[in-house]
Amino acid sequence: MARIIPALLLALTLALSAAQETPEPVYGGQAVVAITAEPPGWDPTVSTSQEIARVMYHNVYEGLVRIDSEGQIVPALAESWEVSEDGLSLSFTLREGVLFHDGSEFGADDVVAKFERAMDPDSGHTHPEYYEAIDEVTADGNRVVFRLSRPSSALLYNLARPDSIIYPAGTSESQRSNPIGTGPFRFVEWVPGSEVRLERFDDYYIDGVPYLDAVTFRIIGDPNARFAALQAGDIDMIGVALSPESALLAEADPNLKVTQGANTTEITMALNNTREPLNDPLVRQAITHAIDKEAIVEGANFGFGTVIGTHATPVEPYWIEVEPYPYDPERARDLLEQAGFEEGELTLSFELPEPYNIERTAGQVIAQQLTEAGIDVEVSIVEWGTWLERIFLGGDYDMTIIGHSEPRDINVYGNPDYYYHYDNPEVRELLEQAELATSQEEAMEHYREIARIIAEDAVNVWTFNPAYLVAAQRDLYGYWENQPTVAIDMTEAFVAR
Amino acid sequence: MLSYLVRRLASALSSIFLAAVLVFAALLAIPGDPAEIILGLNASPEAAAALRHQLGLDVPPVPRFISWIGGVVKGDFGDSLNYRRPVSQLLVGRLQVSVPLALAAMLIACLIALPLGILAALRQGSWLDPLIVSFAQIGAAIPSFWLGLMLILLFSVELGWLPAGGYTPWERSPAGALRSLILPAIALGLGQAAVITRMTRASMLEVLRLDYVRTASAKGLPRRRVILVHTLRNALVTIVTIIGLSMAQLLVGAIVIEQVFSLPGLGRLALTAIGARDYPLLQAEVLLYATAIVGLSFMVDVLYGLLDPRIRYS
Repeated sequence: MARIIPALLLALTLALSAAQETPEPVYGGQAVVAITAEPPGWDPTVSTSQEIARVMYHNVYEGLVRIDSEGQIVPALAESWEVSEDGLSLSFTLREGVLFHDGSEFGADDVVAKFERAMDPDSGHTHPEYYEAIDEVTADGNRVVFRLSRPSSALLYNLARPDSIIYPAGTSESQRSNPIGTGPFRFVEWVPGSEVRLERFDDYYIDGVPYLDAVTFRIIGDPNARFAALQAGDIDMIGVALSPESALLAEADPNLKVTQGANTTEITMALNNTREPLNDPLVRQAITHAIDKEAIVEGANFGFGTVIGTHATPVEPYWIEVEPYPYDPERARDLLEQAGFEEGELTLSFELPEPYNIERTAGQVIAQQLTEAGIDVEVSIVEWGTWLERIFLGGDYDMTIIGHSEPRDINVYGNPDYYYHYDNPEVRELLEQAELATSQEEAMEHYREIARIIAEDAVNVWTFNPAYLVAAQRDLYGYWENQPTVAIDMTEAFVAR
Repeated sequence: MLSYLVRRLASALSSIFLAAVLVFAALLAIPGDPAEIILGLNASPEAAAALRHQLGLDVPPVPRFISWIGGVVKGDFGDSLNYRRPVSQLLVGRLQVSVPLALAAMLIACLIALPLGILAALRQGSWLDPLIVSFAQIGAAIPSFWLGLMLILLFSVELGWLPAGGYTPWERSPAGALRSLILPAIALGLGQAAVITRMTRASMLEVLRLDYVRTASAKGLPRRRVILVHTLRNALVTIVTIIGLSMAQLLVGAIVIEQVFSLPGLGRLALTAIGARDYPLLQAEVLLYATAIVGLSFMVDVLYGLLDPRIRYS
């Protein structure tokens, strides 16, 4: 079953991307890649800002394992790993002869130092809870052993996250301004607010890569300016937040090319499951029936995307196709009547997060559809800090909409305090079983069951998975066309002029 | 004169202090927690609490304000919560972009506006005047971000003469830095030119109507001298005020242009600071703006006296 995912991904990529022969890789040259906002420093273990991981992960920093372009967990600094039969120990054989960018040698002590810091809640490390199951990390030559207090199927994936990068022991304080990793590129120059420049690391442990001499990530906040810079040839690639309008323009430009890949974003219309009348499943079902997801993909994203029916996208290993409440406005009206609401009697607030374009547009399409189904919707647009505090943390809302881009995040449905306020003991039980599972496949089967249950319960309305769009100069090749992780990995990118 | 300057300075300082108090209070009132924003959507409450403690956000507001303002007096603006670096370091880097940009925009604005405004006033009643006036009207109505994008499309995408945005630091290449500031300075300057043209024209017309101008002409002074010395000098009092205020506006209000041209200026930094609820950074920016505005209006006042001896500082 696990093999189906890469095959599916490949099929998706082939079907969607502009058919183009990739030439033989060429060495030399450089590429300029646009990002949208300035990373607040460079260490992904002190801030969860996605901009940091986008630039630094896979390019400058690496962990024991990593996510490849097909979404699989593959070796990185660890050559191989073993899980003990009882699931209580995880041992890694480290790659030998790996150098950090400062010339020092990578070794087991760096790994131990990293995870001792990561597990310490007072160290300021981003997600100590990722490593909760670990009791102790010990080193023995080039082997590192994680002893666990309980089996943890999520741990290996957590070790592939940007949070789990490894840098030289004792350098955690200086990493945010002077990053030193083991990746194919080393950090050279940062012009605050403007750009960051990486250069080829000649001692990279994988022979033959990277191809480029340098990669510059330039910060361009305005989407129109970003596209103009691409058209002017100032930049080579827009690999994040390419608007669908720009994608259409790029497709028409003979100097540019566009690829559509897969990612893990679910544009989710969240419902406050404990607030009246949304605590009534009939009302939630009615809302789901009232929404035409195909129209949202067209209206909000020019058709670039896949309709989804639960909290998973086709690249998640637990993806299932479900749609228990398909678009049916008549049925929506009936259900509302059953729930005791006459036409026009139900008014709900719908709050759209200001910084996110696709979500705002999708929200407006949805509001229109709900109105047609006899629900009055009060739409308001909410500034980001306020959204986080009042809606996300405070849970004070009826309906909102946001893209959940985190991979493997179906576990949030087991947390009744999460802003959906969804409380289902069955889901919690399944999550626990999934975490204690000793095989990935067993864990994924539990996740699939959860995906089915939350869809039946109409917890939220999962609208669509927007395509990962990249626009690039015709002569740039080898970049990732899918986005199974946030990194813009340039290891195999090259320019063939 | 001296006592005037002292009084003026005292009122300027109290305005700046008031701004400091207001921004501090305003930031307490708006929702949003820096620690939560830094840690993102999947932060655990424990991690957020630990970070809040690390950043000193668990200190009550009054002692926090006192320690902050105490630092400011000594020239220490604290560390940015988001970037975890000294605020002063961040600001100095941004000033290197914002100040040259504002100066260049003002230079462009004056080079266009002063001749046009004077010309329009002198040719009142001819075809030239309404042409210039409507030109200024259009200039004031065009949004700067649109103008910026049009400039990018023409000079970068079509002609390929100038970069479509981005910034080369002065220390790396002064020529590169200049090149990256040309288009944004034009986009910013044209809007200001429109305002200054209209003010120059109005101010000139007002002075031209005065008796002493007629007397000067009647006495047979050359027209050039009447206009440049007698009229312009007096009209300049109003024009200087407008330029001073515009300068402050250019420093503060370049946010949109900085965004369009991806320039790492003060405005864009402020925008990031608001989004991240980066209190120390935002407080320092507001103080800087307040100081710039107060300082410029102070300079305008002093210039008044030099331009018009009738204004006495008493």
